Amino acid sequence: MLARNVIVRSLILIVLAGYTAFAAGPFVWVAIMSLRTTTEISDNPYGLPFPAHWWKYPEAWFNSNYEIYFLNSVLITTGAVLLLSVMGAMAAHCLARYKFRGNRLIFFLIFSTIILPPQITIIGIFQILVNYGLYDTRVGLMLVYVAMQMPLTVFILEGFFARLPQDLFDAARMDGYSDFEIFWKITLPIGLPAISTTVILNMIYIWNEFLFAVVLLVDDGKRTLPLGIQRFMGDNLDDTGMLATGLMIAVIPVIVAYVFFSERMIQGMTAGAVK
Amino acid sequence: MGRWRQAYRDNSWGVIMTFLLPAFIFYLLFTAYPIIKTFYNSVHLIQPNASDEFVGLSYYFDILFDDRIFSNALVNTFIWATAAPIIDVALGLILATALYSKIPFARFFRLAWFTPVLISYVVVGVIWMWIYNYDWGVVNTLLRTVGLDAWTEVWLGNPSTALWSLILVDAWKWVGFHMVVCLAALHSLPSEVIEAAELDNCGWFDKLVYIKIPMLKTTLVNLLILAFIGKMKIFDLVWIMTKGGPLWSTETLATYTYKRAFQWDTFNLGYPSAIAVVSFGIVLVLVLSMSWLSRSRERLEY
Repeated sequence: MLARNVIVRSLILIVLAGYTAFAAGPFVWVAIMSLRTTTEISDNPYGLPFPAHWWKYPEAWFNSNYEIYFLNSVLITTGAVLLLSVMGAMAAHCLARYKFRGNRLIFFLIFSTIILPPQITIIGIFQILVNYGLYDTRVGLMLVYVAMQMPLTVFILEGFFARLPQDLFDAARMDGYSDFEIFWKITLPIGLPAISTTVILNMIYIWNEFLFAVVLLVDDGKRTLPLGIQRFMGDNLDDTGMLATGLMIAVIPVIVAYVFFSERMIQGMTAGAVK
Repeated sequence: MGRWRQAYRDNSWGVIMTFLLPAFIFYLLFTAYPIIKTFYNSVHLIQPNASDEFVGLSYYFDILFDDRIFSNALVNTFIWATAAPIIDVALGLILATALYSKIPFARFFRLAWFTPVLISYVVVGVIWMWIYNYDWGVVNTLLRTVGLDAWTEVWLGNPSTALWSLILVDAWKWVGFHMVVCLAALHSLPSEVIEAAELDNCGWFDKLVYIKIPMLKTTLVNLLILAFIGKMKIFDLVWIMTKGGPLWSTETLATYTYKRAFQWDTFNLGYPSAIAVVSFGIVLVLVLSMSWLSRSRERLEY
C-alpha cells in the first residue's frame, strides 16, 4: 500500500514537472536566445548561451527606440491607474454606501459593459478621438484605458466596500465627519487592500493592451511597448536573436514585479473571477 | 436596512453626484456614446470628407447572407470560445486537484504555471511563432527526434491546423489562471466531506467526478462563462501570429472588424460597424442564454 502510494505520488510529480516544462519552457528558451546571436541560433537553436552576449540588451534598448516605448508605457499606465483608482473608489463607495433611486441600475449598466466585445466601441471611440483632436495622442489612449477598465474596477471595489461594517460609518457620522471625510478617512484606508488589488489588475492589463493602442496610435514616438515590439518584429523578422532580446526587455519588468509580489499579483489577476 | 436609510435619509444628490459623476462621465463618453455611434454608423455610409448617407439595413443583409468571410469568422470565433474555455477549465481543475493533494513544491508549481497569464499576447505570439516554426521550431524538432517526421507540419501556414494551433497557445496562457481559481475554491470546500471520501477509499477520479466537481459547480460555471466572454473578444494573438490567415482560417470577429475598419481601402466605417453590432448581438444572446440555463438548472436541482 505504501509502496503503491509512493509510486503514484512520483508519477503525479513527473506529470506536474512535465506541465511545468510546458508552461515555463518557452520563457527559458527565449531568455537563452536573448543572449545569443542569430548566427549562433541558426547553427543550433537549442544551444546554451556561452559566451553570453550581454551587449545585445543595450543594443536593443538604444537602437530601436525602446527607451521611448518603455517611457510611453510607464506614463500611460501610471496615469490611467491613478485615475482609475481615485474615480473607481469614489464611484464604488457611492454605490456601496448610499441608497438612492437608480443605484442598482447604474451598477448594472456599468457591470454589463464587461461582456461587450471591443469592436462595438472601438470604431466609435476612433471617430470621437479624431473629432476632439485626441487621436494619436497618449492622453487619448490613456482616457480610453480608464473607460475600458472602469467597470471591473468599480465592480471589485463595490463588492469589497459593501462588506465593510455599517457601524463604522454610523459612528463616524455621529462624530460629525462629512461625507467626503468619511470617504477619505475611512473607506480609502480600510479599502486599501482591495484598491491595491485593482491597481495590479489594471497595471497588467494596460501594460499589455494591444488592440486599442494599435488603432489609436500611429506616431512612432508615442508607441507603447506592445506596439514597439510589433514594429521591432517587422524590422527584425529574420534577426531571431535580436528579437528575443527585445521580447525579454518587455517581459523582465513584469517578471521582476512577479518575483516580489507574486501572491498579490495572482490575487489581483483573479479578483474578477473569485467572489 | 432601516437604520441605513435613517442615517442617510437627508443625503443630498449633490454628494452622490460628486462621487459618481467622474466615473459616469467616462462611461458616457467612451462607452455609451461610442456604442450609439456604432449603431448609427451601421445604417450609414461613413466616408471621410463626405456627409453620411443613410443606407438602411443593407449592410446587415450583406453580412448575414452574402459575406462568406464574416460567417467564417463567426464560426472560428465560436469554435474558439467554446473549445478554449473547456480546455482551460478542465486542465486547470485537474492541475488544481493535483496541487490540493499536498504535493511537494506545490507553491513553486503554482507560481510557475501562473506566469504566462501576466505576459502580453504580443510577446506570447512571437514566442509561439518560433515554437511552431517549420524548420527549427520546438514542435517539429520534437516530432523529428522521436521519428515522427511524417507528422511535421507548417502549423500556422496550413488552414486545417492554424486555428487549433492558436487555440493551444491561448490555453497555454490561461490554464494557470483557472488552476489558481479552482485551487482557491477547493480550499474553501468543507474539508470533512473530502476527508470522509478519503476514508471511504474513494479513488482519485471518483472523488473528482462525484464530490469535487458537483461542489465546485458554481465556480466552474462562472469560469466557463467568463472565459467564453473573454474568448469572444480574441484579437491580439491572431493579429500577431497569423493576421487571420491562411485563407481566413483563423479570422475572428474582432480581426475582421479591424481589417474592414482600418485596413481595407474601402474607407467606409459603416460596414464594419454593422459587423460589430451583429457580433455584439450574438455575444449578448449567447451569454444571456448561458447564464439563464445555468440558473434554471440550479433551480431544478434544489
